[in-house]
Amino acid sequence: MSRFFHGSDSSSESSSEEEELYSDEEQPRAQPAATDNSDADSDDSDDDDDDGSSSSSDAGGKTGASKFLISDSEEASESDEEKVTVVKSAKDKRFDELEGTIRLIENGEKIGDWNAINDNYDKMQRQVPVLVRDLDGKPPKMYIKIIAELETTVLEAFEKQKVTPKKMNPIAQKGLNALRQKIRKNNRDYTTELEEFRKDPDAYMKEDVVEEPAPTTRKPKKSLLQNENSLGAGDDGFTMVGAGGKAMVYTPESILKHLRSIVESRGRKNTDRLEQIRVMERLLDVATTTYQRIRVLLTVIATRFDLTSGTGSQMSQEQWKLAQSEIAQLLGILEGDKDIVVVENAEEWEDDDKQPPIVSGDLFKVPGSVVSFVERLDDELTRVLQHVDPHTAEYVERLQDEGSLYTTIVNCMLYTERLKADKRLDASQDTINRVVMRRLEHVYFKPATVISKAEEDTWKVVPAKVDSAITPRAQSSDVSSLVQTLATYLFQHADGIIRARAMLCQIYYLALHDSYYRARDMLLMSHLQETIGSFDVNTQILYNRTLTQVGLCAFRAGLVYECQTALQDICGSQRQKELLAQGLQMQRYSQITPEQERLERQRQLPFHMHINLELLECVYLTCSMLLEIPTLAQAGSSPDLKKRVISKSYRRMLEYHERQIFTGPPENTRDHVMQASKALAAGEWKKSAEFITSIKIWDLLQRPTETKKMLEGQIQEEGLRTYLFTYAPFYDTLNLDTLAGMFDLSTSKVTALVSKMIHHEELAAALDQVNSAIIFRKGVELSRLQSLALTLSDKAQGLIESNERVLEQRTQGTANAFQRQDAGRGGRGGRGGGRGGARGGRTQGQIRRGGDGGSSGFTGGALGNAIRAQ
Amino acid sequence: MAQTNGTAPNGDESKQHSLLSSLMPHLDRHLVFPLLNFAEEETAESDTTALNEIAQLKYLLLKDTNMSDFVGDLYATLHDLPERPGEFAKKREEVLEKRRQYEEETEKMQALLADADVVGMLRSDKTSNMNYLKENHGVTPEMVDSLYEFGRFLYECGDYSTSAELLYQFRILSTDNDKVNAATWGKLASDILTTNWESAMEEVTKLKESIDTRLFNNPLAQLQHRTWLIHWSLFPFFNHEPAREMLTELFFSPTYINTIQTSCPWILRYLAAAVITNRTPINTATGKAGYLHTSNYQKQLKDLIRVVRQEQYEYSDPVTDFVKALYVDFDFETAQQTLSVADSILRSDFFLVAASESFLDAARHLISESYCKIHQRIDIKDLSQRLGLSSEEGEKWIVNLIRDTRVDAKIDYKAGTVLMNHPPQSVYQQVIERTKGGFFRTQVLSAAVGR
Repeated sequence: MSRFFHGSDSSSESSSEEEELYSDEEQPRAQPAATDNSDADSDDSDDDDDDGSSSSSDAGGKTGASKFLISDSEEASESDEEKVTVVKSAKDKRFDELEGTIRLIENGEKIGDWNAINDNYDKMQRQVPVLVRDLDGKPPKMYIKIIAELETTVLEAFEKQKVTPKKMNPIAQKGLNALRQKIRKNNRDYTTELEEFRKDPDAYMKEDVVEEPAPTTRKPKKSLLQNENSLGAGDDGFTMVGAGGKAMVYTPESILKHLRSIVESRGRKNTDRLEQIRVMERLLDVATTTYQRIRVLLTVIATRFDLTSGTGSQMSQEQWKLAQSEIAQLLGILEGDKDIVVVENAEEWEDDDKQPPIVSGDLFKVPGSVVSFVERLDDELTRVLQHVDPHTAEYVERLQDEGSLYTTIVNCMLYTERLKADKRLDASQDTINRVVMRRLEHVYFKPATVISKAEEDTWKVVPAKVDSAITPRAQSSDVSSLVQTLATYLFQHADGIIRARAMLCQIYYLALHDSYYRARDMLLMSHLQETIGSFDVNTQILYNRTLTQVGLCAFRAGLVYECQTALQDICGSQRQKELLAQGLQMQRYSQITPEQERLERQRQLPFHMHINLELLECVYLTCSMLLEIPTLAQAGSSPDLKKRVISKSYRRMLEYHERQIFTGPPENTRDHVMQASKALAAGEWKKSAEFITSIKIWDLLQRPTETKKMLEGQIQEEGLRTYLFTYAPFYDTLNLDTLAGMFDLSTSKVTALVSKMIHHEELAAALDQVNSAIIFRKGVELSRLQSLALTLSDKAQGLIESNERVLEQRTQGTANAFQRQDAGRGGRGGRGGGRGGARGGRTQGQIRRGGDGGSSGFTGGALGNAIRAQ
Repeated sequence: MAQTNGTAPNGDESKQHSLLSSLMPHLDRHLVFPLLNFAEEETAESDTTALNEIAQLKYLLLKDTNMSDFVGDLYATLHDLPERPGEFAKKREEVLEKRRQYEEETEKMQALLADADVVGMLRSDKTSNMNYLKENHGVTPEMVDSLYEFGRFLYECGDYSTSAELLYQFRILSTDNDKVNAATWGKLASDILTTNWESAMEEVTKLKESIDTRLFNNPLAQLQHRTWLIHWSLFPFFNHEPAREMLTELFFSPTYINTIQTSCPWILRYLAAAVITNRTPINTATGKAGYLHTSNYQKQLKDLIRVVRQEQYEYSDPVTDFVKALYVDFDFETAQQTLSVADSILRSDFFLVAASESFLDAARHLISESYCKIHQRIDIKDLSQRLGLSSEEGEKWIVNLIRDTRVDAKIDYKAGTVLMNHPPQSVYQQVIERTKGGFFRTQVLSAAVGR
């Protein structure tokens, strides 16, 4: 068949692999010889880690001088074609190589170049293990000889060095010392052989000579056979187009062997993975037992994921879907046959010829991790979504796969739950936590309706008899409790980062569904704002997203102040995109290395999770306006109040807007808010409200009309306050009813507002109950000198307080004397500090900036839910 | 100790704002009993179903205690039996038997502790005390433990004063921290029930410390214990005048106010009532002390307003509504309305019934104070109405107010108005005020640095 010819013109390893594949049935014993090449780098990780790559890439595996020393072996392995006919196999080559190395060592001994000996010794040590295996666990004789000799020479040299006053060259000295250490350690392993050798070196070596030729003579026969066999098979395949050949090659018995060869070629260059997948798909068709099917599926899924292992490439939809269906199939099989489980800590079944005995009622463990597959599947989809343009049909198409992914995740969760429930397995809590977390991450940012749909679809697919202990089927219709159940499960069973993430997810969900107080209380009680800096960047992004969502929730609830404080850190920084991982922000003087940029790109959230940035900005600016305009009006001309800035970015925009000579009609959200601010500052609340309510983006909120009404009310009140602050100096008395008429508020509301302002000493005035009027006090306007004097006294006080604080910190615990005196005076400063601290605990937390290098920060986001919720 | 009883839900529906059901889970069964008694007194004689219900509650409450006589009587009344059923007599016998046994066990210990010589030898170090007793008098740890057991047994029997005594003795000797802690709780309960407020307050302080130190790495248990402590200390709070100031401070300390906010917001009612009634009328005793006192009062009031405002979404009742109406919304009419509701609530609350008069008085003061602060000209009639007084009384009230607080105000009798004069604080005065302490504080500071 064509694939056979493919095999023969691929690289030497894979061709030998193929040969082995076909020759196996006839000559199982040939296997060690034929595969030693591949074994060399797959198994011998003990001491050939740096050598591994080179020996796998060029078949000879020789480096440096040895290449030239043993020219005959070089010839032998000259080309792949010759390899079939020339007898000298890889094993012999290895022997030659070893010989070469030994010769180099001997040369070094003669000239006393200990450094060179040391290097060559290391090389030899790397070559030996393969040969040891070839010789059925016996070390090669010449190896024993050389190490015995080396030991004596080294000892001699060392003794000599002690006696002679002449110093050795430092490099050689170093080499000698290192070598001595290594030899001492290494020779312990070969004591018996060494003793034998020392007893009678000649006899020992003679045996070797006798034995040596044996494998070499057997070799040609085997290779020839191999060759014939493969040729025959090739002929067969070619003539008997299709059917017969397939049936012959892929028999249920040989499945495991095929799999092994595929697994062994994993990670190798020049392997055609698609080809392998095709092979395995066929294997799956012929597989008869559950065990075989599970094994094939495990391998084929892993290989599919290998298709796109590099960065920058994504899985094609077709491959992804196949992988998804295969995982589903795997889970289905595992569900059907409860005697076999796939767990991570299982022993591998080594014997490829035999089926493992599977006794009914007894668990048989297959190594593998379903959870990892599902995680990988999820990651792959995320990666695809990151790279597809969100405004195309393709994005929508790929996004639809999320439904089946969710089903798979739930299925996987059921499976892990079953494992956990099984007493015979010591299933770790960790895996179940991971899969529960995945599930939570797929629901937390979605509106309830979307989740209920997904849940419904999922439970339709799940077999009726299977139920979950964590999320019972009966409760699947109750979506609001789903997130809570999942999160609570993780609170109880997980710790560290998963727990924090679960908490954040739940808060996010609560905030999304307008439970502001619960969300806020949870956020505050979690104390995450104190520790979030020590979490990984993705969790920090999630934290930012959650904080943003809580802010938006506060806004919907009409809590302007809370909203502003929550959003302040994210929106005030001008780095929303980065902080929410919703796109890269191009900074003019950024110092981001390509590596950092790549990482950042990986962190980006797929578009459907984004929080709409324009809406966010609009909410933030509107809240800032409602808070800032009255403050600005109140500050008036006094210098110390002017410094109280609530939102820097808002102020900046406002200043920029005021500088403009000509202002046209508002075009974007920002223009709208700015012009509304201007109108509000002038006391024209109606105009301001009009500007604000004409912003289109409000329609993205769940209840736009209510929100607009709320905003209108807020604008009326703040307008009244601004008006009073601005125009108070120009009035002597002001009738409350007139005010009520002006701002379209009820008289009692106006009275309450004014009373509040008077009580908080924001307004120098008093009410006249009889005439229902405000009487403004005169002469309270301070002169410049007076206000400066007040500022100065404030500053002096602040200085003393900060001094006291510094001293308190310095002498904490020891200088009680100071505190006692302080208390005697009435404890004014101390009390102030204490209260400030208490309040701090209650305020919304701050965001943290990203961990790596400080410069890049992080990024994150969730949008589309708001849009799709419409 | 038996901390929670979780028995039958509160059947008392007649009072919408009754907190009985919220309070009960956090109190010991013995402490609930006075509350139930009070509810019984409050209930009208004719309302037999309610009375029965309370009796039933009482029975369930005390069923597991050793007060077999009393429980038997209760059972008899509940089921209209002429006398106690036999099982109670049997239980009584058992209890008495047990009591004798305990008495024997602890006889020696008690004799020892009554011996002045022995007590004289005791030091503050518990282990050495124990060694001393062991060597000289053959006291074993089991004997000490039996003191605890006996104390607890007597507590269950209702003999609180002896129980308190025994637990006190146990605490001196025992080295078992958990049991000492339990004994402290037991002693607090006994002290409360014997209305021994002085020592109850000591126990509260002890418990507060032990919660802070012993449980500091278990926040949940800390919260739970603090909740209990807050509830238990309500007893001394409203029955022992000197304790009030201290407990208000305790409740306002960050950890406790957080506890209240998280697990038992209904305590805010008591806190609000306490803060408002704490107001001592400023009379002739003027001077620095009076000034400091008011500033402390102002601070507490501010804290209270803050907390009430924060918790508004979670808990509100007429008392907190009053605070909110007066200080958050500045809606005097609503304040007046809620005040009258709050008054009736207070009268039917076990803890607050004694304070209701002073609460009303203080609340009126608060209303008029902030009213006067905001207004320049006030109609006397209107104000009297707001305060729920007649015109005559209102005038008197205002005169008193002017005299007490030395507000700059005059009554225009003809127009029937009060004219308030709010002189603006002079700037120079402000500067002097702010810089007043500076010199002294700097001196203190430099002295501290010099050391």
